[in-house]
Formats: sequence, structure tokens, C-alpha cells
Amino acid sequence: MISDITFGQYYPSKSVLHRADSRAKLLLTFLMIVFLFICKNFLSLGVMVLVTVLAVIFSGVPFRMLLKSIKPVIVILIFTALLNIFYTKGGDVYFEFWRFSITEKGINNAVFTAIRIITLVVLSSLLTYTTTPTDLTTGLERLLSPLNHLHIRVHTLAMMMTLALRFIPTLIEETERIMNAQKARGADLETGSLIQRAKALIPIFVPLMVSSFRRAYELAFAMTCRCYTGGEGRTRMKQMKLSGRDFALLAICLAACAGVIVLNIFFNPVI
Amino acid sequence: MSFAIEVKNLTHLYSPGTPHQVTALKNINLQIEHGEILGIIGHTGSGKSTLISHFNGLLKPNEGCVLVDGVDIHTNKETLRNSRFKVGLCFQYPEYQLFEETVYKDIAFGPKNMKLSEEEIRNRVLRAAQYTGVSGEMLDKSPFDLSGGEKRRVAIAGVMAMEPQVLVFDEPAAGLDPAGRKALTDLIKDYHRSTGCTVIVVSHSMEDIAKLAKRLIVINDGQVAMDGTLSEVFSQSEKLTGMGLDVPEITKIFAEIRKRGFDVPPDVYSVEYAEQIILSMAGRRDAQ
Amino acid sequence: MQEKLIEVKNVTFVYESDDPDTVPKPALDNISLDIYKGEFVAVLGHNGCGKSTLAKLCNAIYEPGEGSVTVKGIPSDSEENGDRIRRIVGMVFQNPDNQIVATIVEDDVAFGPENLGVEPKEIRRRVDDALKTVNMYDMREREPHKLSGGQKQRVAIAGVIAMQTECIIFDEPTAMLDPMGRKEVMQAIQRLNKEMGITIVLITHFMDEAVKADRVVVMDKGRIVTRAKPEDVFSQVDLLRSHGLDVPQSTELCHNLGLGEGVISVQDCVDRVCAFLGGAK
Repeated sequence: MISDITFGQYYPSKSVLHRADSRAKLLLTFLMIVFLFICKNFLSLGVMVLVTVLAVIFSGVPFRMLLKSIKPVIVILIFTALLNIFYTKGGDVYFEFWRFSITEKGINNAVFTAIRIITLVVLSSLLTYTTTPTDLTTGLERLLSPLNHLHIRVHTLAMMMTLALRFIPTLIEETERIMNAQKARGADLETGSLIQRAKALIPIFVPLMVSSFRRAYELAFAMTCRCYTGGEGRTRMKQMKLSGRDFALLAICLAACAGVIVLNIFFNPVI
Repeated sequence: MSFAIEVKNLTHLYSPGTPHQVTALKNINLQIEHGEILGIIGHTGSGKSTLISHFNGLLKPNEGCVLVDGVDIHTNKETLRNSRFKVGLCFQYPEYQLFEETVYKDIAFGPKNMKLSEEEIRNRVLRAAQYTGVSGEMLDKSPFDLSGGEKRRVAIAGVMAMEPQVLVFDEPAAGLDPAGRKALTDLIKDYHRSTGCTVIVVSHSMEDIAKLAKRLIVINDGQVAMDGTLSEVFSQSEKLTGMGLDVPEITKIFAEIRKRGFDVPPDVYSVEYAEQIILSMAGRRDAQ
Repeated sequence: MQEKLIEVKNVTFVYESDDPDTVPKPALDNISLDIYKGEFVAVLGHNGCGKSTLAKLCNAIYEPGEGSVTVKGIPSDSEENGDRIRRIVGMVFQNPDNQIVATIVEDDVAFGPENLGVEPKEIRRRVDDALKTVNMYDMREREPHKLSGGQKQRVAIAGVIAMQTECIIFDEPTAMLDPMGRKEVMQAIQRLNKEMGITIVLITHFMDEAVKADRVVVMDKGRIVTRAKPEDVFSQVDLLRSHGLDVPQSTELCHNLGLGEGVISVQDCVDRVCAFLGGAK
């Protein structure tokens, strides 16, 4: 059964990063990614890698989990590395063959880009490994709340996100149930041409839609009964408060960013 | 002679090889005779739903095998496909599987998948409609315009129309009121009597199952905990309660009466049976 | 008797139909019913008898077409009053999945009080208390979709308790549960009534649940057929059957054997049968 699926890729733990404020984590991840692209040489990139490695250590997320999140981008990694190797020219020539040549700059670029992509992926997956989808949604809602003044209904959007997160597992289970019921009536979902297979999905899609609408309707009733009238006048049980921990994280990241700028200025760019 | 369904050393694991591995079924052995009406009981999570999903090959055993009419379901694609039509599975809340424009087309979905002729499909739809009390006028309606009870009947007809040799009902009466439950129990009984098919009813309602089945199988913790006639199973009411099952009120009453020193049988599961016992005891007393 | 909490007076309610040709039958037909503070009322009836419609009128989800519904003197005739009424009368629905809004148990219980604008610290206290009341405190950080039906339903109940409503309407809360889940939920409901003094309206078609109420209202075809104490209602075996209902097995046994009417507990039934058998050991 898939009822034991965990949505998102949250890795439960009580580490420093897990307990940090989700707003802080969102902002800092964003900041780090921006600075990752500001890096111009291996030294400044090294600073970012160092901070990332520290974050990984303090997050308590096992190394193999991170490898799992890098796996899907390996193709992109290899592809960009090859492009860089063969199409960037400059510096010493290490190898020449017909119209291709491998140069110092090419190798540098390839390695640099690869490290940058890996760091980027690790940073963003750390965010989702250490923050529950609910906390992410709440954090986003709070961070974007100034947009309320522009008449963008941030609360409504966040509520929709929360409900989606809540109902995805339920709907997956439902899909499985309907699929089994139709298979038991001899529905063939696996063979035939593309059009036939698309057609074979109708017996699954229609009941799923019908039931989703029914759920939405009942959910709306239930929410009304619990006095939901939108974001206005609502309070929150879980208050978000920046703690010393969050300020420490902020300090480390800002120091790293300053380091990147300084190193960029004093050493030659490789990219 | 082969059995309608024979389960041999069946073991089923969910998420095998991961830390989440769960043994849903452990070395199950079962023989289901042609034409019998069998009840399977067990609480939620006991593995009974997993077991019936093996009867028509929706799941694949990790160990052991399931034979339908003496043939292993997973021999090849052909046998797997045939098992779907030989063993009809009617899931819990089957009304959620309705999707066609008309009731007729929905009931015809199964037979159509069997690649039968138009005429044969028509005959089967009409027969199934008759068994389930779906009126001719209802056949042209959209299934979504029907009442809850009517939808349930149409969905059941959709499985019956495949005319399987074995028909499995998972919690057929879930969510119905007393009148609806009784009507459905009667429907299943009538169907069994007139077709002679093997019928399997899965439920956690002992009261409903006591009205239907002759033989009972109790599944607990992924294993067959009991297998016997109604009387044999109900006479061990304490064991049943220990497995998180709820015995009928009348069984509880008679367990209490026994405790007070009256010599009543331990297997009372219906009010009619209870009356007979009490009246005959009173009769004997008056005769003395 | 005590103070009236909900007053339903001559209410007729008709669902709008998309089809102009059919004359819709009223779901409720001139119904009057008072619910008193602190009592436990069971509303019995087969599917489609109008009992769920009655429930939705009692907490102002629907407004009555004819007649009036008032809760503590507030008529349910405007959206504003509806909000006020829903702070007094809470509701738990049949399908446990479709009333849980959050991805964590305790966040869901907090949803109601948050909507009411309660202070964060007070919400925390209410949420913890409510979860303890339904024995779900240990699972407060779990994800709802991994719970059993009975557990989900208890979370839904905690969500209403945390709003501190005076009355909770249960709309067939056990219809989709297994025997274990039914028992858990019924125990929680009885505790709310007996220990916390919350007024309970339980809509059901299970006889053994209705037996636990102070008062039973039987409905059919949008009308109230009978209302009385459970033992008096269940003494009318034939009447109940004629309305598509049944009686508990102890009632049926004593009725059939002529050992008395309206026997609703196992204990009472055992006593009567033993007395009848006398020395026939």
C-alpha cells in the first residue's frame, strides 16, 4: 500500500537546522544561491562549499539522502561539463583532436560549474530535508505577507497549498483504489497504442474527479463549521519567533557572503 | 477435483527490502470449494483485503501461489487475465468506481473488456440488473443521478455482469442503514442460490456475516487464525474478542447466561436460534 | 426542564433542483424540535430521511425555507448570525478524511480556535486539553493520513472541543468506521456529554448507539415519527421496522419471547432471560 508515503522529502530530526525558523531558512537558502552565482573563482566558491558542508554536518541528514537528491541532476552535470570542456578555449592546451581541443580554461570551467550545480542542489534539498512542507508554506506565507498590501491574497494561496499537501496522499490512495476496482473489471491499462491507453484512463479519471469534487464540497462545509472566514482576524497557535539560533545562522551566512565578495575582488576570476 | 480457489503458502510483503517492510500475509493456506458461501473476518489491517486482492491477481505473491480452478494465476499473461474474469472482486464502497454516461454502459464495462458479442453483453447486463434489482428505467439514467443505495446496486451489477465463478464482496453493506443492509444480504443470498456460484464475503461485521456464510475464516495478524463452520467459530467468542473483533450482542448475552450457570450452547449467533434454545429449555423445565 | 439551546420551529426545507420538470419533495416537512442544554439526543432514521439536513440547519449551514431555527435566541437568518451560531454549535461529519485540513494532527485541532482569533498561548492549552480528552495527545505530531478512521474521527472531535462550543452535532460519525473505531468514537462522545456537560446531537442509524442517548428522535420522510426515552422508543418494535429501522438484539429477543418491551441493555436482557428460565439449569 502507498498509504505510508511521506510527502515531500522531509527527514525527521531535531538538529539545529531543523529547529531553525523556516523564514530564516528560506531567506538564507535564497541568499546563498544568489551568492553561489556571484562567486568568480575557486576560493570564493570554496567559501560557499565550506558553509554548505557545515550545514550538511549540522543538519544530521545522512549523506546517502543527499546523494539521492543529486542523482536526478547527474545527466545535466555531465552534459554541462562536456560542453564546457569542449567549447571553452583558453590557457594551456592539454589535448587536441581534429576540431576539438581540451584546454585549461575548459577544465576549470567544467569543474567550477559542476561544483556550483552540486552545491545548489545540496542547499535546496537541505531546505526541504529540514523543513516540513507545512512549515515551508507557513514561512512563505509570512515572508510574502507584505504583498497583502498590494491586494494579493497571500493567506488564501497558503491555505490552498496546505490543503493540497493534506489531500495529495488521500487522492493517491483513492487513485490506487479506483485503479484496482477497474482492473478487477478487466480494464487493461498497460497495453495498446497511446490513444487506446489514454482512453483506458477515462474509467479512472472520471470517478477520481467526481470524488474530488465531493471531497471539496464536504471540506468546504467542514471549514465553514469551524468558523473559517478567510485570513482576517485569524491567530496562529505556532508563533514564529527568531531566536539566537536563527541570528547565528544569519551571521554565518552573511560572513560567507562578505568573504565571497572580498575574494572575488582580490583574486583573478576563472569564469 | 480442483478447488474454486486454492491458496498455497502465500506470503505477501509490502515495500520488501526497505526499512518500511511489512509482512501483510504470512504463509497462508486455504481451500475454497466450488459453490460454497464463505465469510472472511478480521479487523482493519489484519490482512484480509490483501488476501482477496490475491484472488484475482491484483497483487503478486512474494512466496507461494494462488490457484483458480487448479491453475496458477501468475503462470502467464493469459491466465492472469482469465483470473480477473473468473474471480469477480467487488470492493468496499464500489459506487466510487462508476464512470459511464448511463447505468447500462457502466454495467457493460466488464463484459466489454471480456470482448463478448453485443448480444451476449446485452444479456449479461440485463441478467445482472435483475439480480441486483436495477430497474429497466434506471438503465438509461446517468449513474450519478441515483441515490446512494441504487449506486451500490449498479456497481455490484457491474461485477456480476462478468458472470464470474467466484464473486468476492468486500464490506458490501458498509455505510448502509439497517433496511439497506438487510436488502443487500438478501440480494447476495438470492444470487448465490440462483447461480450456484462461489461467494466470498469479507467483513468485520459479525452480525451480517452470520446471516450469510456457512463457513468462516478468521484472519488475524496476516495468518489464518480460525477456519470452520459458523458454530465452530462463534463458540470461541472470547478468542474473537481478543482479536479485536466485535461479536454480535446476542452472543454476548448468551456468554453471560452461561456464566450464571445455565447450560446454553456457546455458539449462539442469531436471535432465532436464541429463541429456540430458550423455549426448548423452558419446555423441558415445564415437563419435569 | 432546563434551558433550551436549539429551537427548531415548523421548519420546511426543500433542496433546489436543476430539473425544472420535477417537483422536489421537501427534505424536511414542518418539523419542530427543541434541544435542551446538557442533554444527549440521538436522531435515528434510514438514509435519506432528512436527518442530515436537520443537522445542517441546526448550525446554520442551511437557512430554513419556512419556519425558524434559533440557537440561544439567535435566529439563523443571516450569514452574520450563522457565524455566531457556529461558535455555539459545532459539527463532526461522517467522512473523517474530508474534515481534516492540516498536515499535522495538532495543527488541525488548532484550526478552529485560530479562526476564532484566540490568543496563541490559549490555543496551545486548548489543543493539548482537547487531544487528551479524546486520547490522541501522544499522536499530536502525526500526519492525519497515516491514522486509522477512528483516530481521524477523534482528531475531528478534538478540533470541535478546542473551539469550546456548547453543543456538538455528530452527523453519522461512525458510519465509515470499523467496530474498534466505532467504540472509540462512541466512548469519546459519551465522555463529552457526561464529564464536560457538552450538549450532544448524534445522528445515526445504529441502534446500539442511539440506546446510549437520553432521548431518541425517530425520523422518516422528513418528519418526526416519534420522540421519547430510548426504552420507550425501542419498545415499539413494529413501528421502527415499518420505518426501515431495527431494534437491538436484546430488545428483539425479549420482545419475541414476551419477556418485556423496551429492554435495551445486555444486562437487563440477561436478567430477564435467567428469571424466565428460573430453575432450568
